Amino acid sequence: MTDAKDMTFTLETAHVKVSEMIGAIPTTLSEYRCPLCGKIFGSYADIKQHYAVEHVGAIPPTTVVLNLNGKNCEVLIEPHWTLKRTLQFRLGLTGAKHMCDKGVCGSCTVIMDGRAVLSCQMLAVECEGHAIQTVEGIAADPKWKPLVDAYCRWDAMQCGYCTPGFLVSAKALLDKNPNPTEQEIKEALSGNICICGTYPRHAQAILEAVERMSEGAVTNG
Amino acid sequence: MADIVGVNGQREDFRVVGKHNLPGKLSYALATGIAKFGMDYVLPNMLHAKFLRCPYANAKIVKLDTTKARALPGVVDIVTWEDEDIKKLGQNPFGPPSRPYLDNWGDQEGAEVGCIVVAEDEDICEEALRLLDIEWEVLGHVVDTLKGREDDAPVVRQVQEPKDMFSPPPAKEKKGNVSYAVTTQGDIEKGFAEADHIIEYKLMLPAFASHMPNPPASVAWWEKNPYHGEEPDLHIEGAVQRRENIGRMYGVSNEKTIQEGLFQGGKYCDWGMRKSQEITPLLAKRTGRPVRCANTREETFDFLMNERFMYLKVGFTKDGLITAIDDFSVADNGVYGSSSFGAANDQGYGPYYTFKCPNIRQQMDVVDTNRGKMYLSGQHCPFNWDSGTMAIYLIAEKLGKDPIDIALLNVHGPDSQEDNTVTPSFAACIEAGKKMMNWNWHPAGTKKLEDGRMHGASFRYQICPRHAFSGYDCKLELRNGVVHLPTQGPCTGIFAVECNAMVVAEELGLEYEDIAIDFDFREKFTPVGGGSDGSTASSWAMKECANILKQKILESAIKQADNPPPPGMFGFGGPKKENPLKGHKPEDLDIINGNVCLKDDPSQGIPLAEATSENIFATYSGRPPAAIWTLGMGKKLDTMNTVYCEVAVDTDTGEVEILRFGAVADPGKVLRPTSLESQIDQVLYFSQGCQLLEEFVYDEKTGVRLNNNMIDYKKPTTLDVPHIDKQYLETRAGNAAYGASGISHSMANTHAVIIAIHNAIGVWVDPPATPDKILKALGKA
Repeated sequence: MTDAKDMTFTLETAHVKVSEMIGAIPTTLSEYRCPLCGKIFGSYADIKQHYAVEHVGAIPPTTVVLNLNGKNCEVLIEPHWTLKRTLQFRLGLTGAKHMCDKGVCGSCTVIMDGRAVLSCQMLAVECEGHAIQTVEGIAADPKWKPLVDAYCRWDAMQCGYCTPGFLVSAKALLDKNPNPTEQEIKEALSGNICICGTYPRHAQAILEAVERMSEGAVTNG
Repeated sequence: MADIVGVNGQREDFRVVGKHNLPGKLSYALATGIAKFGMDYVLPNMLHAKFLRCPYANAKIVKLDTTKARALPGVVDIVTWEDEDIKKLGQNPFGPPSRPYLDNWGDQEGAEVGCIVVAEDEDICEEALRLLDIEWEVLGHVVDTLKGREDDAPVVRQVQEPKDMFSPPPAKEKKGNVSYAVTTQGDIEKGFAEADHIIEYKLMLPAFASHMPNPPASVAWWEKNPYHGEEPDLHIEGAVQRRENIGRMYGVSNEKTIQEGLFQGGKYCDWGMRKSQEITPLLAKRTGRPVRCANTREETFDFLMNERFMYLKVGFTKDGLITAIDDFSVADNGVYGSSSFGAANDQGYGPYYTFKCPNIRQQMDVVDTNRGKMYLSGQHCPFNWDSGTMAIYLIAEKLGKDPIDIALLNVHGPDSQEDNTVTPSFAACIEAGKKMMNWNWHPAGTKKLEDGRMHGASFRYQICPRHAFSGYDCKLELRNGVVHLPTQGPCTGIFAVECNAMVVAEELGLEYEDIAIDFDFREKFTPVGGGSDGSTASSWAMKECANILKQKILESAIKQADNPPPPGMFGFGGPKKENPLKGHKPEDLDIINGNVCLKDDPSQGIPLAEATSENIFATYSGRPPAAIWTLGMGKKLDTMNTVYCEVAVDTDTGEVEILRFGAVADPGKVLRPTSLESQIDQVLYFSQGCQLLEEFVYDEKTGVRLNNNMIDYKKPTTLDVPHIDKQYLETRAGNAAYGASGISHSMANTHAVIIAIHNAIGVWVDPPATPDKILKALGKA
């Protein structure tokens, strides 16, 4: 568990931390835990056999390979699990937040094949073969440091719970439209609800990030 | 009045305080998803728990059979209210007998009742709950507050509730569901006799819900620590700031109650713990495994702010001076265990005491209901303020005058209700606000915009209350040349420790980035105690602490200059250059731009890290001088704020557009402008939601909630919210750090938009002013 003392990140140390978190996610399953009784098995065949004997009639879990933040990760889930639930309970990524669980608030937003989607409304089994990017993946990509930094400089957060969802929506917008107007930003973020009411901060942060990213592009180019 | 007793309270030069765009110390963790809230914790081998939720508004379990549920594969434990472990929880050996932690009575739909299931995952918990055989006794319920006070209403409390500090002052014996409160000042009959006009009006202050962004959750586990003896430590995450209370629930000492998480999430008025945040230690102990218990969003609608119906009669002279106020209110008291703080207790403070009017009577019926729980609904204090805002508006309408002029006539001066001067902060706010808004008042229903919609405007004032009365135990440490500010946190979204760090940097001649904030749950210092008013109060205490540290640093620097440590072994580092501080006294020194230097010649100095190698601590325990809010309750005034609203109402469709909000605030001194701006955005958008969108709907027949989800319970989005023009004044009249007070929730209101709508169309619409209600009020639907 991350100790509270380690929470005072800078832009650079946060970048390192999320990169480590993504790096630590195993790519293949080493154990198969029965969701009904907690018993652990060494192979998928073994857990299927266990179901056939001890949980007759129950639907066994399934394995799915998710392409997450550029890395293929094998997970064992029940077929009805959402992507949101899988990210948290199988992959240890909690940047996609549980808030409304109804596809209304945007707190669980991730990017799938370049499109912002709500991970609480996606079945994980449907996501196989699609490129998924979470807020951790965005924060681990040096290209998006100006966006993360601008969010923090402008306090585009109060309690911070919904913030990762906004940041993911912002990145999805900038992927498609690198130079948005304030109105386009508002429209792109209109599926994200912030009960703390930080709305104007996001536009300020995104506009600053756009400026810094274009300056960086000129410098690097 | 003003920060005159604290060190450097009258400081005029600011390098750090007031600076924009300094990132929060935890912001990078929040933005990138690293930060963990209670809902986020996942541990190896973790179990899940779910409470049985009452399907009725008021019911008792008569019989419960758990046999089938226990037989379900994956169910690990089931605990019922009859279990001895449960009976031991939540019992206060020193207080009056209170309701058990869990019993067989559910007093709102969705209340935790009777039983908890622990299983391998949440799906199994839910399946097990469906397999319970339950016999219910359905009791009469009240979800209509007004009907709850009628003689034939069912009495909804099954047990007598002990009085607490927030209970209404008893005016007479409780009857049925109703407790009574009365507060009187002066002689209202005499006041009405002196009046040239009398107006009567009513306000409906609506209930609001789901102010917590993050649904509550906790994870607990027990783990042996060889340094802490035989008994295992309790680890509890997801109950930030309640570590000590939860430790006490389980008889575990502070030292052995571990809580490393910092992130509390938004707690806007909803300060109570949920049972899901308290029960996991018991379940973890019984099962020997970590246990997680989480509320769903639907279950988080169990909290609401109490609705109130206010009936007012106001007498005033032909000039508009108020001579008498008679206020009768009916307020929702919620379910058992609710706090009446935002209802009966704001009779002692409020808009009326900012008036010169000496004759005031406030009567309140506080009605027990099955609508929901109100933990500490203090937000209603500023809401109650709108009864005064309405009085000013109605007097202005009656006399054909500008409401701002009526306010200036009625609001007293800084010292008392008899003070006929104008409070400087109030005058400054109004002057700036009128200019900012191009204020040009018009009577109701008289201004049509070019697009055919009707224009309306409103004005509202409040005090910028520093109501925080907490004391603070501050500690600062100079370690290896770096100043550390240790704190337990938490992170609640008010950037309080950042304000503290800015003040420390200011006083120590350092930069904000130089201050290392060490978050550690074992530390005593926490800057909580209200929102921004708590930030400014804790910053005052931290300012004192910083100056104690500074004095110690200067003394140590002289000691080291006069008696330097011996050169390093083998002469590494070469000869040191002459220390310019040598031969001086501490009072000759200052710290400027990170250097300990001579006051008379700042070029003669050395970096702080070289000036002393000592490990230096400073502590300060105390609080700033008592806030006038706590002394005068509106009878004294220092820092104030004003809010303006302009709307356009389409009388064909009933649509309301807020054209513009304006806020002129005098927080005394702006400590951290970026978060101050954000706080004003929040409170006005919050108020917008209350007045145009949010409504808590019950089925009266069953008492069941009909819109406890974020689809049907509407909150504003980024496309809904208008621009807010803001202006800050710094009169330095508050008595926290540098004369700051804070805004906190004082701009929250239920009627700024509603009054502007009346000014547009000339008829009243209760909040939320949805298009159908507008059309109905206009006689078009």
